[in-house]
Amino acid sequence: MSDKKKNASKTEVKKAKISSPASSFKVVVREIVKDKVALTAFIIIVLILLFTFGGSLFLDSSKVTEINIIDAYNGWGVNGHLFGTDDGGRDIVNLLIMGGRNSILIGLGVTAVCELVGLVVGLVSGYYGGYIDAIIMRIVDFVQVLPRMPIEIVLVTVIPHYSAWSLVWIISVFGWTNTARYFRAFVLSQRDRDYVLASKTSGSSDLKIMFREVLPNITSMLIIDVVLTIAGNIGIETTLSFIGYGLPPTTPSLGTLIGFANDPVNVVNRPWLWLPATVMLLAISLSINYVGRALQRAGDARQREN
Amino acid sequence: MAKEIIQVKNLKVHYPIRSGFWNRITDYVRAVDDVSLTINEGETYGLIGESGSGKSTTGKAIVGVEPVTSGQIIYKDVDVTKPSNRRKLNYNKDVQMIFQDSMSSLNPRKRIEDIIAEPIRNFENLTTDQERTRVQELLDIVGMPSDAIYKFPHEFSGGQRQRIGVARAVATNPRLIVADEPTSALDLSVQAQVLNFMKHIQQQYNIAYLFISHDLGVVKHMSENLAIMHRGRLVEIGSRADIYNHPMHIYTKRLLSAIPMVDVENRIKHKKHRQEVELEFQNDQSKWYDKNGCVYPLQQVSGNHWVALPKDEVIQEELNEKGRD
Repeated sequence: MSDKKKNASKTEVKKAKISSPASSFKVVVREIVKDKVALTAFIIIVLILLFTFGGSLFLDSSKVTEINIIDAYNGWGVNGHLFGTDDGGRDIVNLLIMGGRNSILIGLGVTAVCELVGLVVGLVSGYYGGYIDAIIMRIVDFVQVLPRMPIEIVLVTVIPHYSAWSLVWIISVFGWTNTARYFRAFVLSQRDRDYVLASKTSGSSDLKIMFREVLPNITSMLIIDVVLTIAGNIGIETTLSFIGYGLPPTTPSLGTLIGFANDPVNVVNRPWLWLPATVMLLAISLSINYVGRALQRAGDARQREN
Repeated sequence: MAKEIIQVKNLKVHYPIRSGFWNRITDYVRAVDDVSLTINEGETYGLIGESGSGKSTTGKAIVGVEPVTSGQIIYKDVDVTKPSNRRKLNYNKDVQMIFQDSMSSLNPRKRIEDIIAEPIRNFENLTTDQERTRVQELLDIVGMPSDAIYKFPHEFSGGQRQRIGVARAVATNPRLIVADEPTSALDLSVQAQVLNFMKHIQQQYNIAYLFISHDLGVVKHMSENLAIMHRGRLVEIGSRADIYNHPMHIYTKRLLSAIPMVDVENRIKHKKHRQEVELEFQNDQSKWYDKNGCVYPLQQVSGNHWVALPKDEVIQEELNEKGRD
């Protein structure tokens, strides 16, 4: 899109109609608007983002995690706490806002790192092929056969000065392989197209061909993959936090809230502790997946219903 | 005589076939096997053959996008099969390619301006304004409206796209253009249009073409010298007159007899001739092809005319040739 704007600003001849490339942003919008489920999902995502990110602007993060024993285990709506309080007297709504924001941010962070690394590795591997491809893919295979969860748990407990950032890196170490494989497949299908040969005969360097020629042709795949992995990565963070190896205890997250359900007493008697977070996680994961599927249809003409 | 621009010597492009438990190389696909040809400055050299005969591979090897197994391609006294030599010479500034499928050869995500300007940006140092003027000039040459530079490839028809491909190929004032079946994806009227543009540009800038095609009618219209390829090897080389009037190899005869002709009166005769040639081709396989199904090495039969004849056949054919002259 930025490329388009740049070209448009260069345009001196105003009468020339500026056209858009095939399968553009418009197709994506149409595909989402036409699919009622995807539209609902999209609205839910926006609402959740507004709730968590907007809400966190009005909250003081140190206040949210302040312990106030007197208020512990207040039920629904007691003492002005809409969703009650937890064992430390902290307001669940506030925790939900901060926790949701943290979980989503970590999901985004992990996705950013994974997509970036995976994209570059996939492009290089798919474009060059041959031995380079074979070596990179064996490394990917190796990382993929490692037992992910146990290693992550060990790393979380071993690393000094553990913070949310370390968690992002720990999850990303294992996350990039799928993305690399995914992009490699698309680059493989692109690299023997004539336009790549034409660029070679035009004297463009390999790097230029990879990033300026091939990459724009797989951007729709990139968008789809980003959206779908965000949901997955939020899930991974929540899982780790749920079993107690995720974010540090001082940082609230959806996983720690759901973690209250570890105690049978909480499950039966204090549903306000874990139910809101569970519903929110479910809503956001499902919504992202539905939107992702609509994007997938937009990107892949064969699946599109016209 | 015109000066030669490029010389292909014993070009071989083989692809390994891997099989067995260890995935070792067990055999090769000989896509191009021992091909030698010489293209002169400003001429159109036709390269003809059926699908899979290796003509496109030869073209791609000459442009330098296909790794060569062995053999040499001599340009300006340098062997350009080595990538380092190509880079030193700015080889692709002088040797460009027109692709068969105009849709896939233009990046669907780029504007026409960026597509045509790509070789200019890589090989020449022009300012943005100069570059735009040059692109406009090129579009003018191939008869495209000037607002085309803001459009994307999918907004054009097949013939227009192919003309954009031609414009990109001539952007750097090359001396040789490998045209890989440039018109076989176009309908007949548009074919003529694109071919005429190519001829026009050739006369204007003295460009040599290696015109790869399976359409003998088109090649007759375009080229002075031609080579016929079959199963990776050259079957017959010669001038247009040699090939069209005195075809000697059975495969050439078969190709020529297959040209469709609008001649209702002699329809039966043509059909009979075609069937005769086909029968000869079927029956004399063993005479014209060795036991691997490849043709024999080329032998000179007259001035420029080389044919892949079996050894014992040479003397007989030479006599025939003399008798005819």
